[in-house]
Amino acid sequence: MGKILFLLPNVKKVLLFLMLFTVLQGVATIMQAKWLAEVVTRLFEGEQIKQLSFIISIFLTAFITRHLIKLVLSKTIDHYAAQVASSLKKDALEKCFALGPRYAGKFGTGNLVTLFIDGAKQFRLYVALFLPKLAGMLVVPPLVLIYIWTLDRTSAIILLLTLPILIGFLALLGLAAKKKADKQWSTHRILSNHFVDSLRGLETLKYLGLSRKHARSIKEVSEKYRKSTMGTLRVAFLSSFALDFFTMLGIATVAVFLGLRLVEGEITLMPALTILILAPEIFLPVRELGNDYHATLNGQEAGRKLLEMIHTPDFQQEKAIVPQWSAQDKLAFHYLTVNHEGQEKNSLHRVSFSVKGKKKIGIVGESGSGKTTLIDVLGGFLEGDEGSIEINGEVMTHLKKTEWQKQLYYMPQHPHLFHDTLANNIRFYQPDASMEAVERAVEAAGLKEVVALLPNGLNEKIGEGGRELSGGQAKRVALARAFLEERSILLLDEPTAQLDVETEYEIKKKILPLFKDKLVFMATHRLHWMMEMDFILMLEKGEIVESGTHQELMARRGSYYHMVCLQMEGVS
Amino acid sequence: MMEKEGWIVPYLKENAKLFTIVVILGLLTAFSAAFLMFTSGFLISKAATRPENLLLIYVPIVAVRTFGILRAVSRYSEKLLSHHVILKILSEMRSRLYRTIEPRILKEGAGMKTGNLLGVMAEDIEYLQDVYVKTVFPSIIGVLLYAGAIGMLGSFSWPFAGIMALYGFVLVILFPIISLLMTRQTITKLKSRRSSQYSSLTDGIVGMGDWVFSGQQKTFLQRFEAEDLVICKEEHRRSTFVSYRNFMAQCVVGVIVCAMLIWTGNQSMEGDVARTLIAAFVLIVFPLTEAFLPLSDAISELPGYEDSINRLNELSVAPPSTINDDEENSGWSKSGISCIQVGYQSKDGQQILHGINLDLPQGTKLAILGPSGSGKTTLLKIFQGIYSPSEGSLTRNGIEHVGKETQSPSVSVLNQQPYLFDTSVLNNIRLGKPSATDEEVYEAAKTVHLHDFILSLPEGYQTSMQEAGMRFSGGERQRVALARLLLQDTSIVLLDEPTVGLDPETEQALVSTIFQVLEKKTIVWATHHLVGMKRMDHIVFMDEGRIAMEGKHEELLKTSDRYRKLYELDVPFQLKKESVSRIG
Repeated sequence: MGKILFLLPNVKKVLLFLMLFTVLQGVATIMQAKWLAEVVTRLFEGEQIKQLSFIISIFLTAFITRHLIKLVLSKTIDHYAAQVASSLKKDALEKCFALGPRYAGKFGTGNLVTLFIDGAKQFRLYVALFLPKLAGMLVVPPLVLIYIWTLDRTSAIILLLTLPILIGFLALLGLAAKKKADKQWSTHRILSNHFVDSLRGLETLKYLGLSRKHARSIKEVSEKYRKSTMGTLRVAFLSSFALDFFTMLGIATVAVFLGLRLVEGEITLMPALTILILAPEIFLPVRELGNDYHATLNGQEAGRKLLEMIHTPDFQQEKAIVPQWSAQDKLAFHYLTVNHEGQEKNSLHRVSFSVKGKKKIGIVGESGSGKTTLIDVLGGFLEGDEGSIEINGEVMTHLKKTEWQKQLYYMPQHPHLFHDTLANNIRFYQPDASMEAVERAVEAAGLKEVVALLPNGLNEKIGEGGRELSGGQAKRVALARAFLEERSILLLDEPTAQLDVETEYEIKKKILPLFKDKLVFMATHRLHWMMEMDFILMLEKGEIVESGTHQELMARRGSYYHMVCLQMEGVS
Repeated sequence: MMEKEGWIVPYLKENAKLFTIVVILGLLTAFSAAFLMFTSGFLISKAATRPENLLLIYVPIVAVRTFGILRAVSRYSEKLLSHHVILKILSEMRSRLYRTIEPRILKEGAGMKTGNLLGVMAEDIEYLQDVYVKTVFPSIIGVLLYAGAIGMLGSFSWPFAGIMALYGFVLVILFPIISLLMTRQTITKLKSRRSSQYSSLTDGIVGMGDWVFSGQQKTFLQRFEAEDLVICKEEHRRSTFVSYRNFMAQCVVGVIVCAMLIWTGNQSMEGDVARTLIAAFVLIVFPLTEAFLPLSDAISELPGYEDSINRLNELSVAPPSTINDDEENSGWSKSGISCIQVGYQSKDGQQILHGINLDLPQGTKLAILGPSGSGKTTLLKIFQGIYSPSEGSLTRNGIEHVGKETQSPSVSVLNQQPYLFDTSVLNNIRLGKPSATDEEVYEAAKTVHLHDFILSLPEGYQTSMQEAGMRFSGGERQRVALARLLLQDTSIVLLDEPTVGLDPETEQALVSTIFQVLEKKTIVWATHHLVGMKRMDHIVFMDEGRIAMEGKHEELLKTSDRYRKLYELDVPFQLKKESVSRIG
């Protein structure tokens, strides 16, 4: 465990510092024990307490010094852990943004947010707990053992023998518990998920008329869950039982041996007491490490994920000049291939086409044929694995170029509304746009009636937690953004899917004027759009199987024609 | 009755016996640890007097070993038993939460439409079990141990016990209270900061494309970093407080040890305490104070549970609406729906439906069209019996329903997102009719054209949904739900936009399967596309809670411009009839 820790910045320095201070702490611990034993022994021998005030005060000093060092240690490590966790979080987030939404989509938004916020917090806890305990385990037991060795070899040997037994049992039982947990994992997961699953699916249960009866099954499954968990815990707790048992047994054995040898007169009270006071200190770091082990597993995992994200290779660095798009510019794909790991679906295979000037390109094909992947490549979110992209003769592997992305407007299937006012959402790309410009965009996108209905008009808060807008209204907000922004390239991914026909009709009327004087790529299933396209790319399993105008493709009676017929058949 | 009592106290009362045993075991653990050191100290002091008879130290030797083993054993049993109790409570809490939520689901204004919120509550309960392990048990054990230790010391000297009680008070009561007050503030602040960070980060990640294209991602990253820094500082303040508090507590321990030294020294001089007990008294201080130190952290966990408890309490305050469960027993012959002048007013007084008249004899296929918010879903819920009409009358299966909300067992629903449960594919389908045999399930799957697909899964019908869920596309999920519906075999089926989000090819195929397998049933289909309208017996176009137009497909196509325009969007190309027939 803890391999990833050594990838952290400055970790060696910090560990060295921790070890040094832990040595000091160890020395203070030994001194404190020695002087406490001395006070007790001299009281035992009948000395007046007043004569001992000096030794008592130096005991107290050693005791307080020990905890003062602990304070310094914990403050240092807290600071370091916080720093490391937040810099890791920052780097990973930056990388995530650099790699774009496609990369983020692989994780899922929820998982990413949890990783960045909770994961980073757990990682911080892991660093803060693990490093000082590692230092403690490396330093304290040897130091104390050496000191005990100088006082009494027998005790040192007993303690020395107990230590490996302790660690051995810890590992052995930990392994057994893990094995048992692994064996039960799948049943355990189902049982523990059952309740959440039932609540999430309650609506469906209700529709099926099963919801009332299901209460009984909740009870039964919870009981099963309890039994199965207890089975695992019985084994899991054995490891801490072994820790306790051997620690206590070790101390007890030392005490008994000391007692017997005191009777024989082979040792005096003072060293015996010192050893007795010090004995628990040897086991303390090991026990702490064992107790925290499970608590820190999540943090370790989160740290690994964050580091992995940071080390994900970025897109290739390329220098290529992307022009401000005009009627003379030319974009071409040459045998571009994009592979998704282990997934035939959604890949692109040797895709070639070229566009000159401000054409309108329709991209059609079945679900999973690669439409969205092609849109993502065009948006600069994905890099080609093989083949190339060419703009006016300059060859590149991806379009993640600021000059390209800056003149591009992308309207996804579900436009995101930020938690902000409607006006700020519309001028998201141009925060300093005037209110008049925003109002013009509102007009053009057909949002005027919507704005009129909002109590605060354009200043109404929308997005998560704000006023909820319907799918059609969200599309219109995205449309207003596009009108305000006037970019020369337009990427649309299913702009009107999921809308009811009537809304679709209204929105289409508003989108069409936007196409004027722009290079447009539109991926869609809704074929009525094809009448507005200059050129259609028909995708099938990641390959362009046909291309041409609607009339050409219909006349050809190939895949496109077949798809049109299939769609029309059900309705006409 | 339990509703008002909250989510912690009732369970303490109910499981008082087990709790007592846990506490006793906890005390036993702490006492054994303390007396291990006590007897060890006594043992070696006694041995140092070099008694002639070894038997004199035989008792302490046995005691030392016993306490050593006892501690480990009692700690193990305490841990197991406390988890047993907690899991028992967890299972009771789950049943209770379920019983509280179940009647309200689907009801208007239930305030819990999303499955996610329900998931959060389920996690709340899971989280509440920590209250016992991390706060309740350690606090009770700590306080009792404190009382016990002072009592024992009191049997030697009450004045000194008083002084020690004072020191102990600082560790057991004062520090925890101060910690609680301090952390309550920071935790509230931190929580609101963190939740705002959550939402802004979610906002940022979902809107990542917009950030990138607008060229402003630096702004977002900087904003996030600034927010993070504030949280970091707040957390740092908290951890600094904990570090200093722990240091202060250790100083108190140091003082206690010194006080103990002075007292025992004086006592042994005066002969009130045997000198062999000096070491014992001093050494017992360490394990005892060690049991007191975690109390501060245990208590300061409390504010962290407030949110969960509040969420659950909110739920309990509103009494669940009572529903009578009279099952309708009607023959198939009378099955059908008819509405006369049905209107519906929502609880906040908004009129959602106005004067709906519809007559659907058994076997009618009705389509409801209209933009979102036009009242389609409300009408479906009235048909289903979840809402009762506020005006007019509804007759379902020949029985009139006025003023009562009864979910009808003769109506089944296929909605937008049927939930697939985390169990085998077989059991998921079987939900439609729990008593169905495997063969019946296979038959249903075959009918909805899912059988071959399921057989292609790694473990066929036994494949778990968790594993198969990834492979189920939207269309296939709907088919699973359709298979359930077939097993359910009701006379009336409501389709609540089941094809939203499916691509046209899948939509086509699903719609044809639906109508093929539900041929004889009464179907009410709310939809947003005009696919399949030709097959419908009657089409109703809703707008703002009213029926704006109605009729058959051909009639509407002739009489309504609006309908025709929409139809053209769904069917943009006029294909020549012969070419279609050649392909089809």
